[in-house]
Amino acid sequence: MSRRALLAGALGTAVALPLAACGGSTGGGEPLRVAFPAGGSRESLDPHVLPLYVDQARAKACFDTLTGWSQEMTAQPRLAQSWEPDATGRRWRVRLRSTRFHDGRPLTAADVLYSFRRIADPATTGIAAALFTGLDFTASRAVSDTELELVLGAPNFLFPLSWAAPGAEIVPHGTTDFSRPVGTGAFRFVSFTPGGPARYAANEGHWAGAPPSSELEFVPIDDEDARLGALLSGQVAYAHDLTAASAARLEGDGRARVLSAPTSANQFLALKVDRPPFSDPRLREAVRYGIDREALVRVVLLGRGQPGNDLFGRGLQYYPSSAPPVVRDIERARTLVREAGAGGLALELQTSGADPVFDAASSLVAEQLGEVGLRVTPRVLPSEAYFRQIRQRGVFSQLSNGALPIPDYIGRRSVTTATSYDFTGYRNPEIDRLYADAVGTRDETARTAALTRIQELLRDDSGGLVWASRDWNVGIAAGLGGVESARPNTSAWARFDTARLG
Amino acid sequence: MLAAPRRGTRAAGARVLVALAQFAAVSVIVFAMTSLLPGDAAEIVLGRDATPEQVATLRTQLGLDRPLPERFADWVGGLLHGDLGRSLVTGQPVAAEVGGRLGQTALLTGLALIMLVPLALGAGVLAGRRPGSPVDRALTGVLVAAQAVPEFALGLVLVAVFSLQLGWLPATAAGGAFTGAEVLVLPVVVLVTNHLGRLARQIRVGVLDTDRAEHVVHLRRLGLPERVVLWRHVLPGAALPSIQQLARIVDSMLGGVVVVEALFALPGVGSGFVDAVSARDLPVVQGYALLYAATTIGVNLVADLVSARLLPHREVLG
Repeated sequence: MSRRALLAGALGTAVALPLAACGGSTGGGEPLRVAFPAGGSRESLDPHVLPLYVDQARAKACFDTLTGWSQEMTAQPRLAQSWEPDATGRRWRVRLRSTRFHDGRPLTAADVLYSFRRIADPATTGIAAALFTGLDFTASRAVSDTELELVLGAPNFLFPLSWAAPGAEIVPHGTTDFSRPVGTGAFRFVSFTPGGPARYAANEGHWAGAPPSSELEFVPIDDEDARLGALLSGQVAYAHDLTAASAARLEGDGRARVLSAPTSANQFLALKVDRPPFSDPRLREAVRYGIDREALVRVVLLGRGQPGNDLFGRGLQYYPSSAPPVVRDIERARTLVREAGAGGLALELQTSGADPVFDAASSLVAEQLGEVGLRVTPRVLPSEAYFRQIRQRGVFSQLSNGALPIPDYIGRRSVTTATSYDFTGYRNPEIDRLYADAVGTRDETARTAALTRIQELLRDDSGGLVWASRDWNVGIAAGLGGVESARPNTSAWARFDTARLG
Repeated sequence: MLAAPRRGTRAAGARVLVALAQFAAVSVIVFAMTSLLPGDAAEIVLGRDATPEQVATLRTQLGLDRPLPERFADWVGGLLHGDLGRSLVTGQPVAAEVGGRLGQTALLTGLALIMLVPLALGAGVLAGRRPGSPVDRALTGVLVAAQAVPEFALGLVLVAVFSLQLGWLPATAAGGAFTGAEVLVLPVVVLVTNHLGRLARQIRVGVLDTDRAEHVVHLRRLGLPERVVLWRHVLPGAALPSIQQLARIVDSMLGGVVVVEALFALPGVGSGFVDAVSARDLPVVQGYALLYAATTIGVNLVADLVSARLLPHREVLG
């Protein structure tokens, strides 16, 4: 071929290709497409190992749990139709719903026992393992195919809350390979590429009725602008995890709506209480009263949240709603800094891109604490290893936490035996005792009192300052129905069983 | 007559040997540097709420508790048998993970080149043949401006106009959910716009220099038709430096265009590499290092061979 012919061919193709492309199709069928930030190849279909929200959402489509968390974080029936403890709170009798796995096998008590045993097995490295290690698997038994008895080593009248946790999904007895997962959820697995789309088809025999959407496709879109673009252009009907700025932008656009779940994520400052300078309680108090929470909510969250009062779980069951707000008191903070001999103290505030709120909040916190005599400099750490680094070496760090039942939060993160969440170095055996009292009593009043006392201790001494409870925003197509605004981790969150387009 | 091809083959062989040595060095450095990053695959896979015991268990399961040199030796041993190993995170073969993404990136690169080369050639020749003219000044201004626009900004504007306002093109590939050719139109336009100025200006300079060269002036004096002078004598001379520039562009595109891939949710090698590094997935990181080395070697070798073909009297492979 002559060079001229080659050039002419190339030019022709260059012009023709885009034109041809404009007339192409986007592929056959129209599944319900939902976009989540994903971790690329870090994703997993094992429902007991769910490090990312997208993992949990996919697990929710394919599997089910015995119970689910309501918006206030109480336990609601799902695969468990009913349950009751004995007088000691050690034995739980659970009756299962009559339903089948996607491969036709009926759900049985043996599946539940196998699932809980697998979750608790250290080799599984399950995220809910801590909730099931107290089970006595030798004594626990299947009473019949649809009824089982769970036996605990210690009383726990709140045990049904654990059955709803992400990572507590029920899998068929004996399952070890999750490359083609089989569950009892509203959608059957079709295909998945790590880092790529995951496709599911409606489970016509689902116990709650067949979902209106015949196909469900999870698509990974990490970049928020791209997620927003995909939603507004109609490529996806649901875009998970939007910042306040994106939510505000969507509100003026008729093509989409924002679903905001109020006070869903708690934004913390983590002060290490077991090392200087925050081993001095005066400096912890100086930070507590030195930051302007109203301004942080107004500027960083664009008003989409509530100022925090250093207590976790605003709006959830057992939250002490009568707790007073924490109001900025610059004079008091300055005095505390002076008394601690820390005037002009240089501090590093660790932050990262692991949470979209961290960076903006860090700048403002640094500015606010400058007004009380502390010289704070934000230091950005790599996102991937951020939480490990601040756990090991952090002194003053940004931290956030999604919604969890308050007893679960305390049981897994605040008792002295909790090893995964030591961000402030706070250890208090009194919390262990109060927690045991709270879960070991049938008396709601006594339980509430014990949990309230724990929260007061955490607020006053733990070094975890909750500066805001922020809303959780997702964007949905204007024509999408059957999806509720919901706090992450709750049963209704990222549930597409009743989602319907058009 | 046979001396030149033999010399060229020897030089190409030597280039491949040097490149293999470079790859060996790069793979050691990448392995060591990735290992120095904070955190490992076990911690990152399990997430922030994992207990130290869980991390230790997974570390053992993944073999991360073995000494680094031992793991590196294993990887090299596998490589010598054509086995790139398996991802620590997904358990999938590295070749499949990297290869799957390479297809997407190669398609994107190919389409971008199909548009980029003729456009750059046309603009470069047009401007270079009339230096200082209004056409030259206008083209140079436009090309410099296009080059100065950041990829992400251009991408956002294109999405806003062609996807969100006009609805002509999809906004993203949605992580591979959309695979039609139309999802590549906007990414291709961004890439072409970003590289067009660089390549066209290089061609312009080449045309300008060659057009005034003594032998070209002499050919014109001899009365050769202008198109023959241009196609047979000016363009080959002007192309030589541009081919090296083009090679750098192709190499960078094949290495993954992280911003474009992120903006359009395209599952290419750039985002794959970033994911692998983020997950501290060493076998996959090494797979990408191997790919980058191979594409760099291959692209530069092709560029040298094309240059030698265009101007056989010059020592381009030496």
